Amino acid sequence: MLEVKGFSAGYQGNDVIHDLAFHVDPGEAVMIIGSNGAGKTTLFRAMCGLLSPSSGTVLFEGDDITGLPAEYIARLGMKFVSAERHLFPRMTVQENLLLGAYPGKPDPETISGVMDLFPRLAERRRQHAGTMSGGEQQMLAVGRALMSRPRLLVLDEPSTGLAPLLAQEAYQALGVLRERGLTVLVAEQQVPLAMAFSDRGYVLENGFIRLQGTTEELAANPGVRSAYLGVT
Amino acid sequence: MTANILDGIVLGLQFGLLAAGLTLVYGLGGVLNLAYGQMAVVAAIVISLAMDAGLPVFPAVAVGLLAGGMFGLLLDLTLLRPVYRRRDEARVLLSLLLTLGVSFIVDGFLVWRYPLEALSLHIRGGAIEILGVPMRRGSLVASAITLITFAGLYVFFQRTTLGRAVRSVIEDEEGARLVGIYPNRMLRLILILSGVLAGLVAVTRAMITPVDVHSGLSITVFALIVTVVGGLGNVAGALLAGIILGIVNVIAADLIGSYISLIILLGAAAVTILIRPAGLLGVKE
Repeated sequence: MLEVKGFSAGYQGNDVIHDLAFHVDPGEAVMIIGSNGAGKTTLFRAMCGLLSPSSGTVLFEGDDITGLPAEYIARLGMKFVSAERHLFPRMTVQENLLLGAYPGKPDPETISGVMDLFPRLAERRRQHAGTMSGGEQQMLAVGRALMSRPRLLVLDEPSTGLAPLLAQEAYQALGVLRERGLTVLVAEQQVPLAMAFSDRGYVLENGFIRLQGTTEELAANPGVRSAYLGVT
Repeated sequence: MTANILDGIVLGLQFGLLAAGLTLVYGLGGVLNLAYGQMAVVAAIVISLAMDAGLPVFPAVAVGLLAGGMFGLLLDLTLLRPVYRRRDEARVLLSLLLTLGVSFIVDGFLVWRYPLEALSLHIRGGAIEILGVPMRRGSLVASAITLITFAGLYVFFQRTTLGRAVRSVIEDEEGARLVGIYPNRMLRLILILSGVLAGLVAVTRAMITPVDVHSGLSITVFALIVTVVGGLGNVAGALLAGIILGIVNVIAADLIGSYISLIILLGAAAVTILIRPAGLLGVKE
């Protein structure tokens, strides 16, 4: 589904991530874990067309999408939900969702599917996105991305700014999506949350992938346990 | 007083229409189009020439609006290309300088080739009384066209997918891109729309006062003032600011003298920048 090779990117000529390689297979949930500043956001921005990579390739369903603009990649069926969410604050929840299907026609079934997944959005249908709480905005950002029935959902830190309970709720919703067959790639620094959800993972440190493996393997790794799971 | 307010509303609707095209392009693309008045003048001259050539008024107006739209498209395809590659302040400044250049060239060309061409659209028939005040038919038709245009803009931006997509780029360009909306295509569309709106400015203005080859600068200046007061990128703000400034202008001209009214308008813009930098209906970034 997604294959990234030899991927480097950064800002003003200084690479933040170096020679990364990873892949996501159809139906998988894959996590990229690492602390703040490890390069997760840079990786996703460069992968999704918001930042030009300095080298490497990104293949999505076999097509080379390296360096293509974000709006083009979004239309191919790989939807990125940024940690900053980038909602349309002065538009209603409904309008945000409708635009999620752009340029297609919003399908009523998909809308009701999103509303079933996030009942809060149904309650707040006519409210402006900018006036909602952080948790609701996160739901809306994911909901908007789902409107186009993407084949791959790329989430950057869905737990950002959410209280622990809400973060758990967010991951529960993602779990439901997974069971329905959606392929998900998620970056997360709250590692326990991501581990409860993912099949496999990569550990990103200072811009390099240090470790990879199934969730069980990573959870059993002493380094991961002490650095990310608070176990000594 | 009623007469002043009604005249003020007529003028204010004109102002609002003036600002709509300018404010959209600025709000969407960070492009300040100082050739905006020339877009209107080109449309006016095209209509006038078409009518000289024997075309009836409606087809002539259609040709003029098309010319305005083409002007916008041409700017987008040529001169604004390097502007789009820049961000923020550099973008505004470059767009300002380049379009100012365009305005000089267009003015120069029109003065050279069509020095005496002017567009006046006379609406036949006597005055119509509204609230006891006799109003010129031309003013009323112009105001009606303006109101219909704003209603059309409202429906476009609030009810259509394409209109929402344009708004989404104004609200959050990165969010729009992540959804799959091409900001540059939206900007091209809005530049064409802005040219058509400039053409409508020419048409409605010509119903009240002649539009000639020297009208460009004053149209741009008034549009800028109203845009600043109404809030950049805000069409509803443009309409509201236009009506308020229109009433202020007429009353000031009546009480003090018309020579002072432009100063008062500029003062209103200056005060707005001080008190509400984002404009009447603007939202802080």
